[in-house]
Amino acid sequence: MKALQLILRRCGLLLVVLFIVSVLTFGIVNVLPGDVANAILGDLGTPQQVEALRRSMGLDLPLLQRYESWIVALLHGDFGQSLQFGLPIAPMLFGRLANSAVLGAITLLIAVPVSVLLGVIAGVHEGRLADRVISGFAVVAFSLPEYVIGLLLILVFSIWFPLLPGSSLMDPGANPLARPATLVLPVAVLALGMLAYLSQITRAGMITAMQSAYVRTAVLKGLPGWVVVLKHALPNMLLPTISEIGMNFGYVLGGIVIVETLFSYAGIGQMMVNAVDHRDIPVVEAAVLVVAVAYGVGNLLADAASILLNPRLRS
Amino acid sequence: MRIQWDNAAAGGFLILVLVAILLGPSLAPFSPVEFDPVHALLPPNFTYLFGTDEFGRDVFSRVLCGARPTLLLALASAITGVVLGTTTGLVAGYAGGVVDEALMRIMDALMSFPALILAMLVVVMLGADPVNVVFALGIVFWPRSARLVRSVVVDLARREFIEAARSRGEAWPYILARELLPNVRMFIVVDFSLRTTYAILLSASLAYLGIGVAPPTPAWGLMVRDGQQFLEIAPWLVIFPCLAVALTAIGTMLVGERLRRSAALPGTERSR
Amino acid sequence: MTTLEIDGLSVAYGAVRAVRDVSISIAPGEAYGLIGESGSGKTTVAYAVMRHLQADITARRLALRGEDLLAMDDRALARIRGRHVAMVYQDPMSALNPMLRVGEQVAEVLRRHRKLSAAAAWARCVTLFEQVHLPDPARIARRYPHQLSGGQQQRVVIAMAIACEPDLLIMDEPTTGLDVTTEAVILELIRELRASMGASVLFISHNLAVVANVCDRVGVLYAGKLVEQGTTQQVLHAPRHPYTIGLLAAIPRPELRVGSAHTRLRAIPGALPDLRQVPPGCIFRDRCAYAFDACAVAPTLTEAESGHASACHLRDIPPLPPEPAVAARMATADTQVTPRLAVSGLSKWFREGVSIPFVARARTTRAVTEVTLDIPAGKTLAVVGESGSGKSTLARCVAGLLTPGHGRVLLDGRPLANAVNHRRRADQQAIQFIFQNPESALNPHHTVAEIIARPLRLYARTDGTTTRARVAELLDAVKLGERHAGRYPRELSGGEKQRVCIARAFAASPSLVICDEPTSALDISVQAAILNELVDLQARYGTSYLFISHDLAVVQHVADRVAVMYQGRVVEYGTPDQVFASPNHPYTEALLAAVPRLDGTSRPRLDGPGAAPESGCVFHPRCLRKLGEVCETTLPSDAPDDTAHVLACHIPQRDLRDLQRTP
Repeated sequence: MKALQLILRRCGLLLVVLFIVSVLTFGIVNVLPGDVANAILGDLGTPQQVEALRRSMGLDLPLLQRYESWIVALLHGDFGQSLQFGLPIAPMLFGRLANSAVLGAITLLIAVPVSVLLGVIAGVHEGRLADRVISGFAVVAFSLPEYVIGLLLILVFSIWFPLLPGSSLMDPGANPLARPATLVLPVAVLALGMLAYLSQITRAGMITAMQSAYVRTAVLKGLPGWVVVLKHALPNMLLPTISEIGMNFGYVLGGIVIVETLFSYAGIGQMMVNAVDHRDIPVVEAAVLVVAVAYGVGNLLADAASILLNPRLRS
Repeated sequence: MRIQWDNAAAGGFLILVLVAILLGPSLAPFSPVEFDPVHALLPPNFTYLFGTDEFGRDVFSRVLCGARPTLLLALASAITGVVLGTTTGLVAGYAGGVVDEALMRIMDALMSFPALILAMLVVVMLGADPVNVVFALGIVFWPRSARLVRSVVVDLARREFIEAARSRGEAWPYILARELLPNVRMFIVVDFSLRTTYAILLSASLAYLGIGVAPPTPAWGLMVRDGQQFLEIAPWLVIFPCLAVALTAIGTMLVGERLRRSAALPGTERSR
Repeated sequence: MTTLEIDGLSVAYGAVRAVRDVSISIAPGEAYGLIGESGSGKTTVAYAVMRHLQADITARRLALRGEDLLAMDDRALARIRGRHVAMVYQDPMSALNPMLRVGEQVAEVLRRHRKLSAAAAWARCVTLFEQVHLPDPARIARRYPHQLSGGQQQRVVIAMAIACEPDLLIMDEPTTGLDVTTEAVILELIRELRASMGASVLFISHNLAVVANVCDRVGVLYAGKLVEQGTTQQVLHAPRHPYTIGLLAAIPRPELRVGSAHTRLRAIPGALPDLRQVPPGCIFRDRCAYAFDACAVAPTLTEAESGHASACHLRDIPPLPPEPAVAARMATADTQVTPRLAVSGLSKWFREGVSIPFVARARTTRAVTEVTLDIPAGKTLAVVGESGSGKSTLARCVAGLLTPGHGRVLLDGRPLANAVNHRRRADQQAIQFIFQNPESALNPHHTVAEIIARPLRLYARTDGTTTRARVAELLDAVKLGERHAGRYPRELSGGEKQRVCIARAFAASPSLVICDEPTSALDISVQAAILNELVDLQARYGTSYLFISHDLAVVQHVADRVAVMYQGRVVEYGTPDQVFASPNHPYTEALLAAVPRLDGTSRPRLDGPGAAPESGCVFHPRCLRKLGEVCETTLPSDAPDDTAHVLACHIPQRDLRDLQRTP
């Protein structure tokens, strides 16, 4: 009852947030001092060209009217035309999105269980060798930008020891799972970055849980150590961690920009960087919005899961 | 992270940072921008400690000259983000109700953009300029700092010393500035150190994507981007700037970790 | 064979020598009470026996049923914990795992130690729940901790502890967080289980009366040393150690009060010594009224009579001289027409949750309903009630921290704005607040001087010199010195912090001070000093108090008028003599009966959580004197009688008196 109420509330809030997201996206592109037409044409455009472009893009219309027609078109699935290719944005965007989703899903499937495992080990052995090794590794992995890790892996695994492809170049329409070897390094880069952060979150959660009074009760009942950890501490620690994983979803989404560029993987991140390079503002705008929606939905799912798993809210 | 030597490491790093910021360019043995095609793509040796790039520029000098802009930009972005976030968090956390709800939904919306993507979008729209990068990163950090400060303030606002101030009839600016802010200060300092680390990573990533800086500026990310094509024949072009980013980030991280531990108030004895 | 044998136990947390050379032995079936204030080390002793401490434990012998506990490794400890020695905790809510059904949490102990099958363990758990008098045990077993009341949670913890019929039960303040009526029934349950199980009990408490209710023998712990030990009768009724004598003298008692004059309570001066550098000699010397030269040498715990030992050089201790009564109080008040504060028809309801059609309906909690009270100048009105009675909400409405839904608050006959920030400066100044928890009532980043100076700057806008002089004056008035002025709150003890809070309140020269449970976070000996302080300041400045408390003895000590609240309504209102003697409201009667007494008696009357009923008298679901349908349908009148005594009950006063006379 209470859980349903909470989840419905979250859904409502998501709608509010998505509305603000659309306003912000529109605002950043249209209201910030920079001008779209200027940004598209760069320093090379003559004032006449800029003016012509402004008119053809409807930039001379009032702001509110522009937002209205933009959002109405979006809600009908019309994301506009790419300036670079002269094609509708929607089909290429969703193909790319699917490719990125594959990358992200595999990363989550690997990184989440491993980081929970590492976090539990580090948290239970707080301050001892296992903890120091795991936490030390986490600090280093956390401090390395994705491209540094990526280039390092390419250098080692495809240049010095040519075991894996250093590039995932493919046709945007192709199924990325058809060549699993090309996925290994991109997933490794994303997973390492996520591991670094998530394992520290689970570690902190585990330390808190192990210091709680109910864990003390479990220990003083004479339960064996593994029962205390797995049955009493872990479930309590997982609840807040699930929401945290939801927020981390954003990290994966941000990480794919770099990783897809580095490995030439045909996902939404690469598309975005490419669009930025070619000043294809409508594509950038659409891609950013889609990514924000994906983040919001991912977050909602994580929140819903943690609400449903919590007996306090379930009953 | 309870490494004994991290105190020393953090201290040493701070000194290194100061030296690099103050003296960096003047320590460089060669010009970071001038071409010298005769000495192109030399591997590391005693003259060119980190080797040279395809235009014969000394990688060591370029890495050294990259330190000052990287660090200044990181600090400026962190300050921008933390100031915006602290103000928002204080007001939202103390006011509660509709004000809190409205501010936090805006922060949620900002959080919905992955950091790098938001920064990218803002810089692209505003134009490539360090000031714009600072502004963009500030906006990226804003909601994250605001959420942290708000969570601390919400907790503090329930405490009786805040009720005491309210029951005296104190005005809200007094409560925010004199009652709440001192109690949030340590969290802000720790958050600031963390944001500095993020700023180094994010600005390096932006530069790697070619956003916000233009060649021949010796930005580390840009050096990696340009050196990437020579990865097989001249890996030093990539390795040394990568190392610079990594070490700087790890260093700020350690300083932050050190701050985090000193932030804990001296332990009060347990009543056992 | 003794069940528990502790010989020469010392525990150190780093440099802090929390427990030093404590020896206790507990015979089979015996209940031993370990009494101490905060910082005495009593909980440390309990956890040292469980071997669950991050500290250095040393002892000549620490043995359970003859088995050396100190020699055991983790595996051996895991075998005896829960089976031979089990524990009941202070806070049952946090001691239970929120993610597991309570039945499972009990059953797993049985599966582990008794090797029962899942079904057998579950069945046994239901039997245990029956034994601890949980209603509908089979259904409760399937619930989660948050679905149970505090009393029910503690019953679950007790069931868990007795599941394997341990030889030793350690109870660490098992009733401290509970309401007085719940405390009484839990104590009754503990006595009943003792009689039927024959387990030994190590009972840790700060409350002497609670210990008197449960234990055969008692030890008094002070600053990590056992200072007195004997039978309950010996220690609590013929104490031999000055500390024990002081503790007993610090408890407020109705007989200390004659008419409207108060005898001061006897506080123990000073504070605990720093256990990082344990001073030589008797540990209590600095605070002892009898200290003399010989006390420079530490006394040993020696038997003065059979079974009664005390660590004091004095064999016979003369009685303490009586404390002087407080100077006659302002004799104005009663005749004065306009009360200082008048509350009329005040209601505050909270809405919880949001209404979503077909999914959820917002709930309304009636925190305070139609409360009418007044306080004459220079007098104290005490509002007494259990948690959830609405007394704190009432205080916050008067202070303007919450805005009431209905009703008015009048100060000297003038209505006040609801919210404090809409009130006039002078009205803000006139009403000051002292909070329950001095730990969180002071901003940790402000010095004592800054804290006390703030009201002066805010209301009087005094200049630097005047402010400094006035701060010094106020510090002196609350018995703190100039040396405290520059300190931060964390450098002060709990009692000192509360004195700073009092000084801050009086810095505003208020005409009304709201005291919200001002001593409930403090030790008994400190409570006495703070209550004395409040009484003195009232005599000096003629301030009125709205005094919120759950502690009937404290209320009886300070109050000129008492309002008893239950479920947001005032059920009884009158002078202490009227309220605390028959005829009184059946709820007041039950409250009074539930208070544990030093003579070892308490008469539990009420069980189960009280929820506000839909209609009728708020107390009817739990009332032992319920008349019948009228109580369920009609709200009793709360009009005062000719002696200004409000007794909101359908039973006529004469009948009530007769009913209450028969036991």
